[in-house]
Amino acid sequence: MSFLEYRVKTAPTGIAKVFYIHWALILVVTAVAAIGWLMLYSIAGGRIEVWAEPQMKRYAMGLVLMLAVAFAPIWFWRSMSGLAYGVTMVLLLIVEFFGTVGMGAQRWIDLGFMRLQPSELMKVTLVMALAMYYDWLDDRKVSRPLWVLIPLVLIVAPTILVLMQPNLGTSVMLIIAGGAVMFAAGVSLWYFGAVIALVVGTVTAVISSEGTPWQLLHDYQYKRIHTFLDPDADPLGAGYNIIQAKIALGSGGWAGKGFMQGTQSRLNFLPEKHTDFIFTTLGEEFGFVGAFSLLILYALILVFLLVAAVQNKDRFSQLLIIGIAANFFLYLAVNLSMVMGMAPVVGVPLPLLSYGGSATLVIMLAFGLVQSAIVHRLR
Amino acid sequence: MTTRTPLRPLARILNARARGENPDAIERENLRLRHEAIRDRARGRAQLRLLFLSLCFFSAFTVIGARMGMLAATEPMEPRSASSSADITAGRAEIQDRNGHVLATNMMTHALYVQTKDLIDPAHVAHELARIFPEDMDEASLYKRFTDGRSFLWVRKVLSPEQMQQVHEIGDPGLLFGPREMRLYPNGQLAAHVLGGASFGAEGVDSAEVIGVAGIEKAMDARLRDPSQAGVPVQLSLDLTIQSAIEDVLGTGMAMMNAKGAAAVLMDVQTGEIVSLASLPAFDPNDRPNPVLPKGAEPGDSPLFNRAVQGVYELGSAFKIFAAAQAMELGLVGPETMVDANAPMVWGKFKIKEFENHNYGPLLSVSDVIAKSSNVGTAHIALMIGGERQQAFLKEMGLFDPSPVELIEAPYAKPIVPKRWPDITTITVSYGHGIAASPLSLATAYATIANGGIKVTPTLLKRTEPMEGARVMRPETAAEAVKMLRRVVTEGTASLGEVPGYNVAGKTGTAEKPNPQGGYYSDRVVNTFAAVFPADNPRYVLTVTLDEPVETTGPKPRRTAGWTAVPVAAEIIRRAAPLLGLKPQVDPVPPDGLTAVSN
Repeated sequence: MSFLEYRVKTAPTGIAKVFYIHWALILVVTAVAAIGWLMLYSIAGGRIEVWAEPQMKRYAMGLVLMLAVAFAPIWFWRSMSGLAYGVTMVLLLIVEFFGTVGMGAQRWIDLGFMRLQPSELMKVTLVMALAMYYDWLDDRKVSRPLWVLIPLVLIVAPTILVLMQPNLGTSVMLIIAGGAVMFAAGVSLWYFGAVIALVVGTVTAVISSEGTPWQLLHDYQYKRIHTFLDPDADPLGAGYNIIQAKIALGSGGWAGKGFMQGTQSRLNFLPEKHTDFIFTTLGEEFGFVGAFSLLILYALILVFLLVAAVQNKDRFSQLLIIGIAANFFLYLAVNLSMVMGMAPVVGVPLPLLSYGGSATLVIMLAFGLVQSAIVHRLR
Repeated sequence: MTTRTPLRPLARILNARARGENPDAIERENLRLRHEAIRDRARGRAQLRLLFLSLCFFSAFTVIGARMGMLAATEPMEPRSASSSADITAGRAEIQDRNGHVLATNMMTHALYVQTKDLIDPAHVAHELARIFPEDMDEASLYKRFTDGRSFLWVRKVLSPEQMQQVHEIGDPGLLFGPREMRLYPNGQLAAHVLGGASFGAEGVDSAEVIGVAGIEKAMDARLRDPSQAGVPVQLSLDLTIQSAIEDVLGTGMAMMNAKGAAAVLMDVQTGEIVSLASLPAFDPNDRPNPVLPKGAEPGDSPLFNRAVQGVYELGSAFKIFAAAQAMELGLVGPETMVDANAPMVWGKFKIKEFENHNYGPLLSVSDVIAKSSNVGTAHIALMIGGERQQAFLKEMGLFDPSPVELIEAPYAKPIVPKRWPDITTITVSYGHGIAASPLSLATAYATIANGGIKVTPTLLKRTEPMEGARVMRPETAAEAVKMLRRVVTEGTASLGEVPGYNVAGKTGTAEKPNPQGGYYSDRVVNTFAAVFPADNPRYVLTVTLDEPVETTGPKPRRTAGWTAVPVAAEIIRRAAPLLGLKPQVDPVPPDGLTAVSN
């Protein structure tokens, strides 16, 4: 029994739920997606059927999914959390151990109309499971070592599987988003301090041991780290994408070259131009004005989510929204940082803009959960 | 934490019991209040943390926004490749003479290679290539290499533009050209031994590494290839004009004197800068000959051999001035001090004789010992000095160690110094026998005397700052030594060395070449003339060394330096001195029509 389930006397029922849905959020999300369609149309050289149309269809499907999820009460989703997490773990294990042999090393499961990456799905179901765990757990036990260990296992288990794929971007997102939920749930700051100290200590030890007799990694591993951190050192190899992206953004200037006028991305300088590096096309064609506008829209979505989290008195709903907000933030922060050369290229799509099924659908599913929490909150 | 209120406050329980109410209701009420308080605290904490997360998001957005602005404001730049393949193509620095004339530069050319699987008609290609390069290709062997299964092969390392066009016109897609940067020495053989040469190191299809193989190209390879100084030429101390004049005269002189080799070093005595360094026979560094010599040949027979630096010769009487200078420096003698010159001199079982068994004795002044080149007189001076001081002095003059000049060959040209040093060694060394040094080392030692006694460090690089060196002898001693050398030209063995207006001073040296089987050849000599000019204010030292010369214009073949090396050196000074900017010191001839009036 959820706190809400026996407290909510005022939850809307039936079609009346439509009036409680956060329509402004849907409007902004649609605006962002529409920018994505424009870019995909431009990158394909003015053809809609290449990337823009499939992406629009996916978005429509995602919108339906979102509304469907929103109509189901949030306590239903709470009770489903453990199951969802378990199923996603099983899917991850399937692609990990059978994908390699049986399906040609693929990391997705073909659903017929789309390919689902369990690792994307895990971003949402992990947050659900953690939110449910902390809703269930007595507040006073939150910081006790044993009760901290359980969510840690919940986070680390899928992270290891994703890391083995290997997918560094998603692994980092799982850890940070999970950590954000634990942080919001009130786990003692000492644990976070300890983890940060441990990470900083390890990195320092590894870096500073280079070239000494007791160095911790092999020379070639250090070389990889250096290329990873400094793409400029290898402009025709690992650093190629990122340098071309910076050129695209720089050539856009303040006002951009104009719609359909981008050369850097259209002339195939950028291999990932329609997926992870779609932002460069926006920057090239609409300049700083266009790019910054997109940033404002993203910020607006995050503000909506954070306000919804504050307004919600239900612990599960609150933690769920925070976890989803953290995930959404990580998507765009990691993607934009890597496109603009502030972070290494780890393969994280730009949410709602990048061409691709799993990420779009998972984000829409997550927003559906947020809507459900908003519709069924205590008023 | 505030103090906890008890769930069952005794007073209220007692009151409730007194009123007949259920006291458990009070406990439930208090429990509910406490749980709500806990929940409120938790929510407050959660909201604080939410605020913190929001702050994190906000700052990240600020950073991303700022980065967008920065990128929008920057001018896009094409990436500059820093990978290793780019290093090969980075231009090798030019080499220039002291006036900025080019001695070594780079030229774009192409290499020819074949990808056999793309060849349409290997037989035709082999035939055509053999026609275009008749001297180094053979149709049958080319065809064999095209068809023996390998997929890739180099055909030629460099092509001229005409050859490239001809190959291109064969029109076979399997023939491919790789760009090459090639080292070019526009002056051909000039200064060949200084420059050395370069060849290809690591080779790729798109580029090849150019590495120095000899001379200054190898000695300064790292500097020439340093990408951070790619556009900065290396400037040598050589003067191309003077180098050309000296090689010209030296070549003629070598032919006239029937010598098999010759070397000349011209050095600025104040700075140690080598203005010219020549060794003949020379070679073209654009096309270095094969260094392998036929069996039984001396290393000196190779044109690659740098006689001025690698050639370590017994330099003979040219050494005598060191004994005289040291004895004067030590105060043992003055220029006019008479020394025993009675020949032959007997020392133990050895007999010291003069050239052609002359006897200049019984007594000679020190100045005359040098002018007449008396072995016996020098021997007596050396015995006054003693072996230990003699060794110390010669070492100080740089005659015991390889020359520190910037050539890769220099450190390997170690002077040959006797291991033991009994008195007989002191005697023979004093007139330049039993010790061997390179002409460059001799020039360096003479420069030390000529500049007034400051030790000279020779260099092939143009000096940007003055040379610093230790004082080896007093200026007065050095001046007296130069005066003695001047007398060698005016009254002594080097009378053919006089060049009007330039007051040449110097010392001859004739040494018989050692026979590898033991002893010395009587008909093979190395003739040396070490000159200082102008004698009244020495500016330059010139050494001319001729290998196995013989002057045949007289009734008897003459093999003394005075007849061979000295006239060649005089001709060099006559040509080079005006180029060096020295004014001839001759009394002005009154122009026609004017009468000099004196009162």
